[in-house]
Amino acid sequence: MHSNRFLLMTLAVLAVAVLAAWLSRIPIKYVMRNLLVRWRTTLLTSLAFTLVVALLTVMLAFVNGMYALTESSGQPDNVIVLSEGSTDESFSNLGFSDVGDIERQTGVARNGETPLCSKETYVVINQPIADPPPGRPRRRFLQLRGVDDPAVSAKVHAVTLYDGGAWFSDAGVQRVDGDNTSASAIEVVVGEGIARELGRDRSEQQLASAKNVERLDVGDLVAMDTRRLVIVGVAQSAGSTFDSEVWAKRSVIGPLFGKETYTSLVLKADDAEAAGRLAEFFNTQYTKASLQAYTEPEYFRSLGETNRQFLVGIIFVAIVMAIGGIFGVMNTMFAAISQRVRDIGVLRLLGFSQWRILIAFLAESLMIAVLGGAIGCALGYLANGWTATSIVSSGPGGGKFVVLRLVVDLGIVGAGMFLSVMMGLLGGFLPSCYAVLVRPLDALR
Amino acid sequence: MHTIRLIVKNLRRNPIRSGLTALGIMILVPVVTLIWSILSFLDAATEEKASNLKAIVSERWTLPSQMPYSYATSLSEGASREPDDLRPEDSMTWSFFGGSLDPKTRTFDNSLFAFALQPQKLLTMMDELDSLPADQKERFGKVVDKLASNRQGLILGEDRLAAIDRRVGDRITLYGLNYKDINLEFEIVGTFPVGRYDNSAAMNVEYLLAALDAYPTSHSGKKHPLADKCLNLVWLRVPDRSAYETIGRQIAESPLYTSPSVKVETASSGVSTFLQAYRDLIWGMRWLLAPAILVTLAMVISNAIRISVRERRTEMAVMKVLGYRPNQILLLVLGEALLLGAVSGAISSIATYVLVNNAMGGVKFPIAFFGVFFIPNDALWWGLAIGLATSFLGSIVPAWSTRSVRVVDVFSKVG
Repeated sequence: MHSNRFLLMTLAVLAVAVLAAWLSRIPIKYVMRNLLVRWRTTLLTSLAFTLVVALLTVMLAFVNGMYALTESSGQPDNVIVLSEGSTDESFSNLGFSDVGDIERQTGVARNGETPLCSKETYVVINQPIADPPPGRPRRRFLQLRGVDDPAVSAKVHAVTLYDGGAWFSDAGVQRVDGDNTSASAIEVVVGEGIARELGRDRSEQQLASAKNVERLDVGDLVAMDTRRLVIVGVAQSAGSTFDSEVWAKRSVIGPLFGKETYTSLVLKADDAEAAGRLAEFFNTQYTKASLQAYTEPEYFRSLGETNRQFLVGIIFVAIVMAIGGIFGVMNTMFAAISQRVRDIGVLRLLGFSQWRILIAFLAESLMIAVLGGAIGCALGYLANGWTATSIVSSGPGGGKFVVLRLVVDLGIVGAGMFLSVMMGLLGGFLPSCYAVLVRPLDALR
Repeated sequence: MHTIRLIVKNLRRNPIRSGLTALGIMILVPVVTLIWSILSFLDAATEEKASNLKAIVSERWTLPSQMPYSYATSLSEGASREPDDLRPEDSMTWSFFGGSLDPKTRTFDNSLFAFALQPQKLLTMMDELDSLPADQKERFGKVVDKLASNRQGLILGEDRLAAIDRRVGDRITLYGLNYKDINLEFEIVGTFPVGRYDNSAAMNVEYLLAALDAYPTSHSGKKHPLADKCLNLVWLRVPDRSAYETIGRQIAESPLYTSPSVKVETASSGVSTFLQAYRDLIWGMRWLLAPAILVTLAMVISNAIRISVRERRTEMAVMKVLGYRPNQILLLVLGEALLLGAVSGAISSIATYVLVNNAMGGVKFPIAFFGVFFIPNDALWWGLAIGLATSFLGSIVPAWSTRSVRVVDVFSKVG
């Protein structure tokens, strides 16, 4: 919802309404007084708007959060290289022998002598959860990203750690005090979102002695069947797909989970333009291996298929709810008119023309809509910042499980207000036309 | 009878208001019906069954599950080694072959994922296809026979067929997405029955295995990287929970499945894990969206009844003068709302059922691996119940207020 066009359209409709009211010199006080006198009906009708708009706001905030996540995950100067035909890391397999040559290509930025190339193996793990608290799942999919050199990967992805954390060691494993299992614990860096999600598996007893009750923190252990993951750092990754990932040493987790090859390489270029050229080069001129390269923003945008599907569903529900609401408004306005037939007759005899009467009743309907819509937007705004789980993908198969933040922005508020105003206009139009047809003398008879 | 006649007469007195309220109900009830249909399907899919269970065997750790095809035979037998060991009633292996019609650019429309399986299992093990009505089963059986006799055959769902813009009988080449450098030529031999598999595809697993076997001859003798990982899932049908536990134990204790190790879970448990990603979305549909629509509906009705009551206060005072008791007037108003709600709700849910199931071929809303949802038979009474409940909630307050209509107050204002 980056576009504020709905807000502009709403303001335009309201501006036209105010202008028409001013030009027609309709008795606004009379309109307002009618709304106040029938305050219960006004309130009840507004509440229908409030509910529809609040719901629309929350639903759009969810999709907006997904879009924000997929759009802010990529660095514009990064190029992600997958095996040919792959649009998802889950299905990509890059040959070991190809990797060295790829990172040495011209256009790949360097840090001294080291090419800024993050060599990664991405695996999704089915994690059994022993004794989950009531209502929590017994298994979950955990996304692990194995990297060779965490310092380089952190630089490429611009990921930093919270204070007190560190990247995993060269060995990638460590002995943990009090851990009696024969295997060492695997050192991991977790995204903040998944740290929060994993933290919810803790029992009340564990929470009582937890370092951080909101999420897992440095030093905490995560059970992985017979193995343990020890958190050595928490990444400041909010707003990106990395927020839902667990990073570890590739040489440890690759063989452990049967993924011996690299799934992806992420190369840093000098700038966004150079990244575009580099991706183009790998797709069209590089012949030593069959590759599929994308600039990172392009890659993450391609994961927006799910967002689109959700958006279509939301629009459908919003429209249907709005139509239902429109019938409610029509009822209110028809009743308002039938009660005030005499008033209309008097107004007509006082010299108010038909179109002024039409505008007066439309204004009344619009006021109800604006009131209900504004309250709905305000209520919906409370959802701003809520976290939710979802999935982003480019189509059938693959995809990433993500923890996202709901985002209510001006575009969404504009969409909510626009829907509300349109409901008011459409709901008020027919009854207002009916009011126009009232003949003054008949009305007063 | 007299009261009902009076109720109907009252509703007909203001056809615009009654019509608008009925339309409001008829528009909103389908949305709730659709939401509840999706939720009830997901609830049923994740509910642990006591009998006729399906179990899924998959790689213990990673997703997608990848096991050597050498596991297939013994896992299909439930890892039974001794004559006394329990065997599943039926089984099916799944390998996934993803391919794109364009080797360079993969889009949603030009790619598909096919279940590579033993063709006859489509009729006995696939959810919903194993319980088709006789006529559909016979029709689909012929398609399955074609797949069994033609190793290069491919069955597609109607939507997928339309998305790739091909017809039955066409030949296509799929460039491997997950099986790099394995490009397969297919002949589309038929389609799935309309419904759950509209976006799916199925191929003969023998074709995939043959392609993997042939791979080394064109790649300097090197095996395909996924040659030993081409078995994705094994489905087992077991009669009851106890058989599931026994077969699960046989598999877990078998020394055959160590690298990689495997896990056994019920189909419902597997689905639950997948649905975890949609947890908040489902929560929102169940506890925010559906209730909010119901409240909106109640408010639309409440508004209409409130207006109606306000307009008829004089009439109600007259009725009191004529001897009607307050409760009778309350019942009259309540009856109007209930009749309107019940009739509109019932018509709406029946229309939704017919429209969605027969005309639209289900509602397409992809969640996990479920793409299409149908309105269950139970939904035929949901509309009636929704209409009655929301009408009652929406009208009880305005209806109650009629009890306090005082004849003196009303007539003092008249004239």
